[in-house]
Amino acid sequence: MFNLSKLEHTLRLQPHLLGLPINEAVKGELEGLFLDKVIAKLGLCISVYDIESIDGGFIFPNEGAPTYTVKFRLIMFRPFVGEIISAKLKESNADGLRLSLGFFDDIHIPKLLMPEPSRAKPDSENKNQVKWIWSFNDEEYLIDGYDEIRFRVQNIKFPEIPNEQKESKPFAPMEIIGSLVSDGGLGPISWWV
Amino acid sequence: MKILKENGGLLTNFEVLDFLRSRGAAKDPTRVLAPLAPSEFKVYDFLEQSAACSQTRESIAEFVTKCKPYKLTKSEIVSIVNVRPSSAVEIDPLIEDLDSRLGESAEELVELVLQVFPPPPDQSKSDE
Repeated sequence: MFNLSKLEHTLRLQPHLLGLPINEAVKGELEGLFLDKVIAKLGLCISVYDIESIDGGFIFPNEGAPTYTVKFRLIMFRPFVGEIISAKLKESNADGLRLSLGFFDDIHIPKLLMPEPSRAKPDSENKNQVKWIWSFNDEEYLIDGYDEIRFRVQNIKFPEIPNEQKESKPFAPMEIIGSLVSDGGLGPISWWV
Repeated sequence: MKILKENGGLLTNFEVLDFLRSRGAAKDPTRVLAPLAPSEFKVYDFLEQSAACSQTRESIAEFVTKCKPYKLTKSEIVSIVNVRPSSAVEIDPLIEDLDSRLGESAEELVELVLQVFPPPPDQSKSDE
């Protein structure tokens, strides 16, 4: 689920930070820049793991801030295709399920990748939601929001930033498509334990 | 910004949890004093209630040496450590070609997992 990525970045350190030890100041800048942001093809940045080197410190003409070239490692959240992850159900509607990991919400299980055969039953409590039911060996298993749902990562998409924001959904820079199709073991944990 | 190395190494959930703990996530109930961002606390919360919360570095090292005879790939080992399957049906989606590669020894592998990683003290597993 998590891996380390090594990056290099040139950053300007504002003069008001020059009183701090340089490691802390650079780390603070990097955290402000990268934490909780998605880097294309690398994933969601969770944390700065360590700083390998800080070079430079030159002050360019007309500026008051020194410029450093920093090599550092970040902990990235980027599941690989085929990985099994447990997540909580956030929303269940006619298109499929939406799952959440707490720190990452854009996990979508489309209705084509639900276990075969499933059907959706309109939920009496919430207007737009449906409850998905899986029929297997003459028994019906319900997907309710009670326990965690295990799914396999089918695909990870990094869509391009659109020029105009759509009103209905905020833009998701990283989307995970999951699948519940398997010979056993995927779906709510209570189905299998 | 330049990417020097896209994949520097796969981390188990436990290693990320250990890293966040070493930064002080566990000790601060107010969550204001520790030098961690709110997003890092969310990751910490997620990891605490996953299988990683009761693991130790030694138990993971022990598992890696003990599962050598099963010839699992690195990502399969990481998946098993992260998910901690407690039955054969749970281990099935984690390993490709389970039957042809392991056959009967899949049960032994599940036993090994249960032995090296004891289940956490939570309600749903102990009820079954």
